[in-house]
Amino acid sequence: MRTAWVVLKRELSSFFVSPLAYVVLTSWLVWNGVVFWVLAEFYSRNAVSSGASNPLSGFFGGSALFFIPLLVFVPVLTMRLVAGEKQSGTLETLMTAPVSEASVILGKYGAGLVMWCTLWLPTLVYAWIMSQHGSVDWGAIEASYFGIFFLGAYFMAIGLLMSVLAPTQIIAAVLSFVTIGVLFTIGIGEFVLDGVAREVCAYLSMWGHMQSFSKGVVDTRYLVFDLSVAVLAVGLSIGALKARRAG
Amino acid sequence: MIGVEALTRGYGSRIAVDNVSFRVEPGEIVGFLGPNGAGKTTTLRMLTGYLAPTSGDIRIDGIDAVTHSIRARERLGYMAEGVPLYSDMRVHEYLRHRGALKRVPNLAEAVDLSLDLAGVADARTRILGQLSKGYRQRVGLADALIADPPILILDEPTSGLDPNQVRQFRELVRGFRGKKTVLLSTHILSEVEAVCDRVIIIREGKKVADLAPGDSEKSLEDVFAELTTTAATGDPS
Repeated sequence: MRTAWVVLKRELSSFFVSPLAYVVLTSWLVWNGVVFWVLAEFYSRNAVSSGASNPLSGFFGGSALFFIPLLVFVPVLTMRLVAGEKQSGTLETLMTAPVSEASVILGKYGAGLVMWCTLWLPTLVYAWIMSQHGSVDWGAIEASYFGIFFLGAYFMAIGLLMSVLAPTQIIAAVLSFVTIGVLFTIGIGEFVLDGVAREVCAYLSMWGHMQSFSKGVVDTRYLVFDLSVAVLAVGLSIGALKARRAG
Repeated sequence: MIGVEALTRGYGSRIAVDNVSFRVEPGEIVGFLGPNGAGKTTTLRMLTGYLAPTSGDIRIDGIDAVTHSIRARERLGYMAEGVPLYSDMRVHEYLRHRGALKRVPNLAEAVDLSLDLAGVADARTRILGQLSKGYRQRVGLADALIADPPILILDEPTSGLDPNQVRQFRELVRGFRGKKTVLLSTHILSEVEAVCDRVIIIREGKKVADLAPGDSEKSLEDVFAELTTTAATGDPS
């Protein structure tokens, strides 16, 4: 596993010396700044800010505005992880060093998780701003970040898998966008369907997931789902990287 | 030692390497020759674990490289064709990274030694993406040497080098005779005559010769032309 750490370090240093990192982080903060401002305006003009519903719960998954940027930012962050190495040819030097496929994938996945946390860390400032103008339920904030971390574990694993499967970065990005978009839309079936189908869609719903966490409710069913998808996607990534040798 | 037995690799219905067998003894320097598309790179990629063979056996220093790929790779230094590098890293950072991946002890010392051996010490702080082809080749060689492996596999190691660099490279490889097992693929016949103890020639995935440069009365160039041109083999394709 020491080699996974070596892969993780290289991935992160490569990301943070690239202009991509700063374009992504700046665009992310501009987008979320606007979203937070709109939500704060909405709640200040409409007297609905009671109980668990407030600008912060809206920001942390209470509205579709939370998910729209993720459909773009997750593919952009994960597309280069393995597909970038294929395109530049460095996968050959990497995979002919004495490293296992599992170490490479775990190192890349770990780097993806750190990138995900780097996206979210600056948003703590919104909670601080709210605390300066009213009371903040810090328990709900903790639960929100907890939920976001697990959602990231799920999203980054899907992005990583697409990066292993795709021959180029752009194809990896498109595949991740479509996969996460379809999963998001299936979740909306919760409001459309009935019976068992509704139950299944509710279980898959990332919207329901974040609505629950943003109100301070840590629902372990969502955690089990996130971790199951993450483990499955990381395992498939290792398998796909091994299968490449025979392909 | 490198031992290859009945090595075959297909891509779909196309056979890229067909039942190839050879050995490279410890301390021997062997040239691997063939026209473009003959299967040289595919063979070397199987030896280094990048590709799995469809069938056949590979032994690297006595280790079965098909079933114990990582242990076999620990015994290898490989310089891939075209030398793919992380263009955003500096030379010494890259070698540190590669040394760490290969679990090299005394990493700082190993980086310095490999930079000196490959003749890139003067470029240690330069960014890989801004290096000339010749420097890139030498960084690839430094990477192959950093873990001081007993076996070196070099794919087109002198392409892009100027005549002085080619001469330095040949002297370096000659210095490995008796110390490291070297298999190098090349197009340059004079290179084989200058540094190799033996030459293996492949054509359309099949081994067609395994000889020492002085074995034949004809020049290596003539032998190569005879064995690898369509007219000489009577192959109508």
